[in-house]
Amino acid sequence: MASVQQLRRKRISDGLTVTQKVFVRSRNGGAQKVVREHYLRKDIPCLSRICDVCPNVIVPNAVGELPKFVLAASPQELEGLSAGKRHYVVVDANIILQSIDLLENPHCFFDVIVPQIVLDEVRNKSYPIYTRIRALCRDSEDDVKRFIVFHNEFSEYTFVDRTVQESINDRNDRAIRRTVEWYAGHLKAKEISVVFVTNDRLNRQEALKSGLVAKSLSEYVDMLPNSEEIRDLIPNLAPSSGMSNKMLQDDPEGAGASSGGKIAEFCFPEYYSTSRIMGGMKNGSLYQGSIQISEYNFLEGTVSLPNFKKPVLVLGQKNLNRSFNGDLVVVELLPQAEWKAPSTVTIDSEHFNVNDNPDNDGEDDDGELSGVASGSATIMSDKDRRLLAQSAIQAQQSNKVQPTARVVGITRRSWRQYVGQITPTSVDPQSSGTQNVFVILMDKCLPKIRIRTRLAKQLLNKRIVISVDCWPENYRYPLGHFVRDLGEIESAQAETEALLLEHDVEYRPFSKKVLDCLPSEGHNWKAPVDITDAEEISKDPLLTNRKDFRDKLICSIDPPGCVDIDDALHAKQLPNGNWEVGVHIADVTHFVKPGTALDSEGASRGTSVYLVDKRIDMLPMLLGTDLCSLKPYVDRFAFSVIWELDNNAHIVAVDFTKSVIRSREAFSYEKAQNRIDDETATDELTQGMRALLQLSKKLKQKRLDAGALNLASPEVKVHMDSETSDPNEVEIKKLLDTNSLVEEFMLLANISVARKIYDAFPQTAMLRRHAPPPSTNFELLNEMLQVKKGMSISLESSKALADSLDRCEDPNDPYLNTLVRIMSTRCMMAAQYFHAGAFSYVDFRHYGLAVDIYTHFTSPIRRYCDVVAHRQLAGAIGYEALDLSHRDKQKMEMICRNINKRHRNAQFAGRASIEYYVGQVMRNNESTETGYVIKVFNNGIAVLVPKFGVEGLIRLENLTENPQNAEFVEDKFSLRFVDMNGQSREVGVFDKVEVQLKSVLDPATSKRKAQLLLK
Amino acid sequence: MSRFEIYSPEGLRVDGRRWNELRSFNCSINTHPNAADGSSYLEQGNNKIITLVTGPQEPASRSQVNTKQASLSVTINLTKFAKMERSKSSHKNERRTLEWQTSLVRTFEKNLMLHLYPRTSIDVQVHVLQLDGGILGAMLNGITLALIDAGIAMYDFVSGVSVGLYDTTPLLDLNSLEENAMSSVTIGTVGKSEKLSLLLVEDKVPLDRLESVMAIGIAGTHRIRDLMDKELRKHGKTRVENLTN
Repeated sequence: MASVQQLRRKRISDGLTVTQKVFVRSRNGGAQKVVREHYLRKDIPCLSRICDVCPNVIVPNAVGELPKFVLAASPQELEGLSAGKRHYVVVDANIILQSIDLLENPHCFFDVIVPQIVLDEVRNKSYPIYTRIRALCRDSEDDVKRFIVFHNEFSEYTFVDRTVQESINDRNDRAIRRTVEWYAGHLKAKEISVVFVTNDRLNRQEALKSGLVAKSLSEYVDMLPNSEEIRDLIPNLAPSSGMSNKMLQDDPEGAGASSGGKIAEFCFPEYYSTSRIMGGMKNGSLYQGSIQISEYNFLEGTVSLPNFKKPVLVLGQKNLNRSFNGDLVVVELLPQAEWKAPSTVTIDSEHFNVNDNPDNDGEDDDGELSGVASGSATIMSDKDRRLLAQSAIQAQQSNKVQPTARVVGITRRSWRQYVGQITPTSVDPQSSGTQNVFVILMDKCLPKIRIRTRLAKQLLNKRIVISVDCWPENYRYPLGHFVRDLGEIESAQAETEALLLEHDVEYRPFSKKVLDCLPSEGHNWKAPVDITDAEEISKDPLLTNRKDFRDKLICSIDPPGCVDIDDALHAKQLPNGNWEVGVHIADVTHFVKPGTALDSEGASRGTSVYLVDKRIDMLPMLLGTDLCSLKPYVDRFAFSVIWELDNNAHIVAVDFTKSVIRSREAFSYEKAQNRIDDETATDELTQGMRALLQLSKKLKQKRLDAGALNLASPEVKVHMDSETSDPNEVEIKKLLDTNSLVEEFMLLANISVARKIYDAFPQTAMLRRHAPPPSTNFELLNEMLQVKKGMSISLESSKALADSLDRCEDPNDPYLNTLVRIMSTRCMMAAQYFHAGAFSYVDFRHYGLAVDIYTHFTSPIRRYCDVVAHRQLAGAIGYEALDLSHRDKQKMEMICRNINKRHRNAQFAGRASIEYYVGQVMRNNESTETGYVIKVFNNGIAVLVPKFGVEGLIRLENLTENPQNAEFVEDKFSLRFVDMNGQSREVGVFDKVEVQLKSVLDPATSKRKAQLLLK
Repeated sequence: MSRFEIYSPEGLRVDGRRWNELRSFNCSINTHPNAADGSSYLEQGNNKIITLVTGPQEPASRSQVNTKQASLSVTINLTKFAKMERSKSSHKNERRTLEWQTSLVRTFEKNLMLHLYPRTSIDVQVHVLQLDGGILGAMLNGITLALIDAGIAMYDFVSGVSVGLYDTTPLLDLNSLEENAMSSVTIGTVGKSEKLSLLLVEDKVPLDRLESVMAIGIAGTHRIRDLMDKELRKHGKTRVENLTN
C-alpha cells in the first residue's frame, strides 16, 4: 500500500463535499488501484449534551429518529488537568483491543468518544471486540457509561488527506489527533477537556506537540480518583519482547520488575512468519486445525485435520508451543521416529510444577516433558514433509502409533475471560505491593496464568475473573490481568456465577430495552374473551386466524414445580372411532416479534439454562412463567398441532393452527400417573389421558421398531433443603409412564412440524439432525467389550446398534447394560441444529430417534430454535408472513451456529452445577458405594459411581504403596498392583469395585472434588 | 464478514452518505457532435459513461426494415478497464450485458415515438468507462440524454437509479461495495410521474419492504430528472446564445 495523490474536493451541495479515496493494494502478486468515492459532510454532531451548535445541524434517519445526544453535560472531573477538569476521553484502537474489559468497567471511562477510524481498525482486527464496543455505544443511554462513535472520516472538519510519504498508520494516527483537536476546540467554551488516551508513545508526543492532552493508559488511570482499584485491571503486556509491543515500552512500572535485566533461559520456539505459514499450507507441508487439549493430560493435544482419518497428536509443552484449548493452530508433522501412541498418563496443570515461582521464568527443570521438542532441530525439506504426511496417513490406518506434530503458528486465539483462583503458594504474604502471582483456571485443559496485582492477599480464596493478554515466547506461562472478584470460594453465589461465566452463559438481568418490548399490561394481560369481537380484532387483526379451542379438555403434564409450561395435550374420540389428539404449545411468537430487542436477546441467549438452584431464562419472567406459560384455568394463546390418529396411532390427518386454549389442569408426572391409575376416575379428562397413554405406548413401540436408541446418561437430581437451601440428598431421576406419554407426543409434533416447514421453506427450515457415529468412535469401547466380556456393538444401523445394546447383558451384573449405554452415549455424535439448505435430505436423518426429519417445536419458552420453528410454521400455514431473517440462508446459518453453541454450553453448565452440588452433598456424608471402572491408565483408574453420577480418577499413588511395581496390562485394559493391604490385585475396565467416597478440597486449586478410594 | 460497516447505527453509509442521498451527479450533452447524431457524458458517482446515438438512419440491411416504426438497438461496451481489476474478456457476449441491452431496448421502445420514424433504425452505443454499482440506472439516464440530443421524439424523460435494502432500511443509489452486500432493485421512472417503465429485481426483496424501497427510488429518479433537466436547459441556452451571436 503506497501511493498517494492529492485529491480535489468538490462541493456538490450545501454541507456535502465529495472526494476520492485512492489507494493501491496488492492482490495475488499484482497491484490494484482502488478508487472510492468519499463524501464529507458538516452535519455530524459531537453528541455532547452541553453543545448548543450541533442540535441545529442534525438530520433524522430513515425511520425519522434523530440522533441522541449522549455525552454528559458535566462529565467526571479529572485531577491534574490544567484547563477544565471535566473531561471526555478519546481512545485509540490498541486501547480498545487490549483493555476492552476496562472500558466496560462501570467505575471508570464514563464519557468516551470512539473515532470511526479507530472503530474500523478494531473491527478489522477483532470482530468480537468490535461487537462489544458497539454494544457499549448502543446501551449508552442508560447513563452509566456514555460511549459514542464520532464519524471523523465523514466529517468535513476532521477528515485528513494522506500526505506524500506518509504511511497509512501515521495518517490514521493523525486523523485521531485531528478529531481530538476538533473536539477540544468545539467544547472549549463549555470548559470540557478532551483527553486522548493512547499507549503509543510517538502518537502521544505528536499530540502534546500540537497542544492536546494525551496520556498513556496507566497515566490516565493514575489520575482517576479511584485509581487504586482500577490499576490492577490494566492489561499486563509483556514488557519489550520480540513482539511488536511498542506500547508500555516507556512505562517504567510495567517494564521494571519482571524483565529486570535477567534474560530468561526458558524459551518457546518462535512462530513461523505469516508468509512461511501461507506457503507451507499451500504446498502441503503445514496444516491448520483447531487444537483440543486432552482433559486428562494438559500436555497432550490433538488436532483434527481434514486430510487425516484420526487426529494428529501434539505432545509436550514445547510442541504445544503456547496454544490454548480451542485455538486455531498451524502444525508441522514431526519426523517418524517421534510418532507416539497417545499417552496413558494423566497430568493436570494444578499438580504440575506447583512450586514454580511466578517471578522468574528461568530454569528449565522438566527435561522429560519438553524432551520431545529436540526434534525440531532436524532439518527437513518440504518434499520430505509431504512424503511424511503420506506415511502418516498410512500409519494411522495400521497401528496405534500416531503421527505427532508441533505447533508453528496460531491463526486465531480462543482467549476469553476465564475464572480461576490465585494459588496460595505463589503469594508472598509479607509483601504489600504489586506482585506476580499464578492463577489456576477452572478449566483444567489450560495452563496457569501469571498476573500482576497488588491485591494478591485480598484475593486469596476468592474466585476471580481474569483475562489473558499475551504469551511471549520467553515466558513459561501466559500473562493476564485481573478483571473481577466473584466472591469466596465455595460460596454458592460465587460458584454459580463462576460456572455461568466459564460456560459463557449470559446471566445479567434483561436490559430495559428488552423489557420495553413486553406487553404494557404486564401480568394483567388477558387473552380476548371473544375472538370474534370486532374491537379485539381491530387491535390484533391476526386474531381472525386463531381458532377457539377453549371447549377442549386440555391438560398439561410437567415435572413437579414447573412454572414455564410449554406444552399441553388433549385427546377426544371422533365419531368414526379414530382419535383427535392435540398438542398445544405456548404461543411465544405472539409476544416475541422478529427484529425487536426482545427477539435479539432471546436469539443470543439461545436457550434457558437450568442449574440446580437457579434458572437462567431465555425470555423475561413475565413471558416465560406467566403470559406464555400454559397455566391451568386461564385463557392462553397457543400454537396447536391437531392429528387424527387411528387406533394403531397412525396419522390419518394433521392440521396446524394458532389457537386460544384453557388448560383444565396442570399435572405433575406423578399426579397424572395416579389419576390414570385411579379406576374410580371416569371423567372425560381422565379418559382422554388414558387414551393418550395407550396411543403413546404404540408410538413408542413403533419408534423402537424403527431403530430408535435408548441410551442412558447418569442423570441425578439434587434435593435441596427447603429451609436452608442446602443440598442434602441426591436421587437418580425416575421415569414414569407419563414422562414418556408427553415425550412421545412432543416427538410426534416435532416431526410433523419439521415436515411441514421443510415443505414450505426447503432452503431455510430450522431442523435438527443427529449424524450416525463414525465407527472409529466405538473402536475402543468395542475392543474393551470384546476383551473383557466377549460382546460387541454393531454399528451397521441404529436398529442394529439398539439391538446389540440390548444384548449386552451380564447375568451377574445387571448394571452392565446401563454402563455400556452410558459409555456408548459418549461415543455418539452430538445432535445439531441446522437450516435445511445446509445438508441434503438424506443427511437430515436423526440417528437416535430413527426419523428422517426432525426439529424442535415444543419448548419455545426455553429454546430459540422452537421460536424460529414457530415463525416458520406460522408462515407455512399462511398465518403471517415469515420475517426476512428466517428466509435468508446466511442469517439462518448464524442463528444455528449460535444456538448450537448455547445449547452445548447450557448442557455443560447444568452438569457442572450438578457436579458442584453433588460435591456439597458428599461433604456432609462420606460413604462407601459401588462403582464401575470405565477407563484404565497406566497411573490410575477412572471410576463411575452411579448413585451420585460422579466420576473420579483414582491415582496409582492412592492404590498402592509402591507404584513402581504396578503393571499396566494394556491389551487387557487392566492394572495389576499390590494394594494397601499387601494383596495383589488386578482391576480392569467394567469391573465392579467398592469405593470410599469423600469430598476433598484440593489444596492447590481449592476446588472441591469427589475423592475416591478403592476398598 | 464485511470489512466495512455498510450502514452504521449512526445512519451513515460506507462512503459517508445518508440513506436517502444520491451520489454526485454530473452530465453534459452533445459531447461528441462529430461522431454521432446525439451524445452524452454522464457521471453518477464513479460510474462514467459515454452514450452515442446514431439515427434515425437507413438500416444496415433490408431485413431489419420495419415498415411500422423505427427499430431500436442498444449496444453496451463495458470496457476492460471499467472495473477495479482489468478484465480479460470484453464482456460483449456476457449474459448480463445481453440482458441489460434487452431491458434497455424494451424500456425505450415504450418511451420513444418510434412510429414517427418508420423504415429507419436508431442505434444506441453505451461505453462504460468506469463502473461503480447501479450501472443500469446510469445507462438509462445517459441514453435519455443522448436521445434528447439526437432530437428523437420521446414522451418524457426516463431516469433510473438503484435502491438497496439493508436489513429494514432502504438505501438510495448503491455503489459497488453496497451492491455486493445487499439485494437491490433498479427503477426507471417516466418523467415526474410514478409510472415505472423499468423495474429490475435481481435478488430477493421481501414483499412487505418493497413499497418503501420503491418510494425512495421514485423520489431519487425525480431528483435525477430535475438535474438532467437543469443541464439540458443550460445547454439549450448556450446553444441559442451561440446561434444568435
